[in-house]
Amino acid sequence: MDLLDRYLQAVKKHLPWQRQDDIVAELRANLESQLEDKEAALGRPLTTAEVEAWLKEIGPPMQVAARYQPQQYLIGPAVFPTYWYVMRLAFTWCLIIYSIVTVVQVFAGPLSGTALLEAFLRVPAVLMTTAAWVTLVFAVIEFGTTHYPGKCQLIAKYPEWSPATLPPLEKRPAPGKRPRTYAHAVGEVVFGFLFLFWLLLIPEHPFLLLGPVVVYLRASPFQLAPVWTPFFWCLVAVSVVQLGWRCENLLRARWQQPPALQQLMVSALGLIPPLVLLNAPDHVLFTLKRPALDLARYGATLYSMNKLTWLGLLAVCAIGAVNLTWRIGRIGLDAYRRRAAGVAK
Amino acid sequence: MTLAENLFENLRLELRRGCLTLAVLAQLRQEHYGYTLRTALAERGMVIEESTLYPLLRRLETQGLLLSEWREEGKRNKRFYRLSSDGEQVFRHLLEEWQAINTSIHNIL
Repeated sequence: MDLLDRYLQAVKKHLPWQRQDDIVAELRANLESQLEDKEAALGRPLTTAEVEAWLKEIGPPMQVAARYQPQQYLIGPAVFPTYWYVMRLAFTWCLIIYSIVTVVQVFAGPLSGTALLEAFLRVPAVLMTTAAWVTLVFAVIEFGTTHYPGKCQLIAKYPEWSPATLPPLEKRPAPGKRPRTYAHAVGEVVFGFLFLFWLLLIPEHPFLLLGPVVVYLRASPFQLAPVWTPFFWCLVAVSVVQLGWRCENLLRARWQQPPALQQLMVSALGLIPPLVLLNAPDHVLFTLKRPALDLARYGATLYSMNKLTWLGLLAVCAIGAVNLTWRIGRIGLDAYRRRAAGVAK
Repeated sequence: MTLAENLFENLRLELRRGCLTLAVLAQLRQEHYGYTLRTALAERGMVIEESTLYPLLRRLETQGLLLSEWREEGKRNKRFYRLSSDGEQVFRHLLEEWQAINTSIHNIL
């Protein structure tokens, strides 16, 4: 009996204090009856080893006590789908806002590789803080809906919905064209972040873009004109916007077919950085480091460099603009065909 | 335990969970205390572990489906359970549901 007493004592320690005496008294009565039956069947008291085996069969005290506890959730199944949806949205917007704030901070202060690296390394902590706050808010909602169901009905209830409000069917990929996979979409986001990080490091460490050519450029009489600074920040802004959209597509589960308007916007925004260069005053994209000394010697070369680069950029912008017009035309034509088909039906 | 065995075990427990409640409610149309209820169910083929049955009785009582009272029997204080009037009503509905499911499964098979 000593072993049974010790067992019940151990169970008691894990029971809610308000009910522990009552539960243990009931459990004792049941187990003692069972023990008596066993002993009556054997015609002798159970040995210590047999009692041990019997108690082992009933289960560890903590596990037995746990069965008397009500089922507890931090976030229950009714609230969980909304929690997960909000968590994904919070992650997306947190990353977008954090990227924008970081870019603005970098732009406002002196550009340093260390600052960028620190900003990049802070991303996991920022995401964890976001996750903690979202979880805390939903844990409070879960507590409210569980403990005060009458007062928290509005939170617990799903909003009214109608099948008519469901989004239209997503466009299927053209025959023979495979839809983008999830891995592809995730890869784009990851590489998008890496690209942005790499891009922001370039002003401080140009060798990341040019490699050993940097040494030659330092020795050369030419330098980049001031117009490259707004070009660079336009490029960064376009990358941030594109990355934000990619994250949103991923988290809204539309990576297979990103919205057509979004794709057009990405193409249109991509034209802005070269357009900034095209609008350089007097088409000056490169200047001389020491014009007073080198103009006579390198003036003609500089003129050719500026002219050829500008023409190259013009060609790039023209091709981009034609491509964009073509795509807009195709979308317009598709829409017209669909409308015509709808009328014919 | 293989993956298939593990899956079977989970599904089996899920299937049994509702049936246990039905069996307990059915058996408690007569008054029992925990141990005799367990043996009565086991005699009829429904073996339930102590650590499952006793907390289940508490839960059903909290939900208002069972009534209980402490009484001395055989020089020992025991807690006796029986169906409440709500419990009888719920048991009837559950039994109808279970029979309908049983018939459906038989028809499908």
